[in-house]
Amino acid sequence: MTTGSLLAADLVITVLAIAGWLGGGAASAARRRRLALCLAAFALVATSARAITITVLAHAGWWFAAEKVLIAAPLSLAAVVVAGPRLLRPPGDIRSAAVPLLFAGYATSSALLVTVLHGYPASAGTGLLAVAGVVAVTAVSWRALGARPSRTVSRAALVVAVTALLAGTGLAAAPRTAPAVHNHEYREVRTVGEPTRRFTLTAGTATVRVSGRDVAAWAFNAQVPGPELTATVGDVLEVTLHNRNISRGVTLHWHGYDVPNSQDGVPGVTQAAVLPGQEFVYRFRADQAGTYWYHTHSVSDVGVRMGLYGVLVVRPAPATGVDVTVPVHTLAGLPLPAPRTEPVEAGTPVRLRLINTDSTTHRYALAGAPFRAVAIDGYELRGSTPLVDTAVLIPAGGRYDLVFVAPATPVALFVDGRAVYSTGPVSAATSAWPLLDPLTYGVASPVPWSRFDQEFTLVLDRGLDLRGLLPRYAHTVNGAADPDIPPQVVRLGDIVKLTIVNRSLVVHPWHLHGHHVLVLSRNGKPATGSPLWLDSFDVRPGDVWQVAFLADNPGMWANHCHNLPHADAGMMLHLMYG
Amino acid sequence: MRKALVVVTSVLLAAFVLQFVFAAVGAFTKPASEGAYTLHSVTGMAVIPVLILLTTLFAVLAKAPGRLIGLAILPLGLVVLQALIAMLANASTDIAGASTPFGLTIAGLHALNGIIAVHVVVSVLQAARKLAHPPPAGAARVAVREGEPA
Repeated sequence: MTTGSLLAADLVITVLAIAGWLGGGAASAARRRRLALCLAAFALVATSARAITITVLAHAGWWFAAEKVLIAAPLSLAAVVVAGPRLLRPPGDIRSAAVPLLFAGYATSSALLVTVLHGYPASAGTGLLAVAGVVAVTAVSWRALGARPSRTVSRAALVVAVTALLAGTGLAAAPRTAPAVHNHEYREVRTVGEPTRRFTLTAGTATVRVSGRDVAAWAFNAQVPGPELTATVGDVLEVTLHNRNISRGVTLHWHGYDVPNSQDGVPGVTQAAVLPGQEFVYRFRADQAGTYWYHTHSVSDVGVRMGLYGVLVVRPAPATGVDVTVPVHTLAGLPLPAPRTEPVEAGTPVRLRLINTDSTTHRYALAGAPFRAVAIDGYELRGSTPLVDTAVLIPAGGRYDLVFVAPATPVALFVDGRAVYSTGPVSAATSAWPLLDPLTYGVASPVPWSRFDQEFTLVLDRGLDLRGLLPRYAHTVNGAADPDIPPQVVRLGDIVKLTIVNRSLVVHPWHLHGHHVLVLSRNGKPATGSPLWLDSFDVRPGDVWQVAFLADNPGMWANHCHNLPHADAGMMLHLMYG
Repeated sequence: MRKALVVVTSVLLAAFVLQFVFAAVGAFTKPASEGAYTLHSVTGMAVIPVLILLTTLFAVLAKAPGRLIGLAILPLGLVVLQALIAMLANASTDIAGASTPFGLTIAGLHALNGIIAVHVVVSVLQAARKLAHPPPAGAARVAVREGEPA
């Protein structure tokens, strides 16, 4: 069982325990003796089962179990201590067991709320608020059930509830160190010599035709995807961005291309958003070959979804053979690109540059020929071996380059089962194919560093964020949401190790700007394949990734989840060094 | 106070009816996206819980019997459960993010739990009405059921 499914199972068991305790309490209040005892026994079993799930989760990593061990376990223990004896020696009038059983239900419920609404890290403040809630609700039930507690008990309950409430609120509301992330003096553009490749991109609303339907889009040069920008290593690119009428502003972010900070295109961090009528000129040297893409980083969730993206390909030399880019996107619910068929002469080398520009993972399957995955996220893999009937999963923002020699028979590329590119008719059932694990593919070489100067842990979760104007159920990093996540400060030349832990129930495709990170391990298992230099990787529920990078590109860099709605909902922080 | 209880319970029931309408709005919005369910989420996670708490408060103030108070607060538990079911259903996808039969089964529970919650609210409304207009002693019980939405 994976840690991810264990996290979900633990939630389900908790809900069952709550239903058992509260149902048992209600049944005893209604003097349904048998039912009450059965439900309470069931709750007891579920509570014991949780002892197992919590232990296993703690073993998988403290991050997964912290609040369960520190808050849920004591509350569950209190539940069992209070309700258990009523179950072992049921009182003559079962109604007198109602309050203990309800108390057990409330205790378990509040622990569940702590997990769901606050999560990691466990804090004394939330623990005290949970206790206050349990005591208050139990006291109210006690009175409502008619069997009034003695005056001493009432007073004690009141004192405990009020103290816990005040202390908890105080601790939870105490201001954390307020980070100052946004520098509003954007750095000067670094001169990189005279441009050898010039492009102009004009952003504006447009109507584009997809699968026979007219769709309202935001587009570069009135096309989705925007124009394909190509260059040869050594070129100096100059891209002039105009905004015709995108009122919320646009920028160009070179996804995976480790440009100087001033060219990175993050509004409010590296430049101001380009508003209607304005323009911005990007200039950088194309010194790294590979498959990349560009997209707006201004209101990026809506902007990219509506179509403000395109392909950037940098080749080491003019292309030979067939070289095809496949930027996969979902525009207004319709899949892009449109299926394309072109016959290719047998013996021709073919390179497919697969790009995922959506916010969720896609599955790509190449049928009809053995192929090799030669590059991921623009970086060449070492010693890639031929693959047959194997699918690849590309995270949001990620790219894979697949190469093969065209056979005499047709070849087809399927994305989530839909044929997107083919050299002729192919029918293949690819849904049951095994998946390529890049961490074990290719030939290893030793990690170039023996020490790490800085280590950071990012624990990804969900939680209630009360710091904005409106409370929201945010996607959080270490219990905080953008803009309240402290920036990661490093020094130029540092070797930085990041540990990224996903304790939520959804995938988070992680994306660090300005750097490629080297994958060290996933879930404790070291990467044994070719060195993987990634800019986008899926951290699945329950996953723990360890990656490292050399801080050699100074500036203020966004470090965020590339499921853009998640980034919008708080899962975004910054890395800075000068 | 008993009349007020009837009124606030009726409002709660109306919110539940709207909640089903908003679910349909989400399901039929094209192109499908998470944003289509914003109305449904806001109603479910903010409006309805507040109305449930108000209903319970009025039941207590109206000196309703314990059973009615318990029945009034019960939908709060069901609503929290409802949010958890939605979260689990959204999480139970295959590795490429597509729905799975297991996830859709969980999602089905979201609909069933919603129906149960509406029935509970209808029972609260019936009990509240009875409390506001107690039948004259000795009168025969009127066996008319309320129209149930959904």
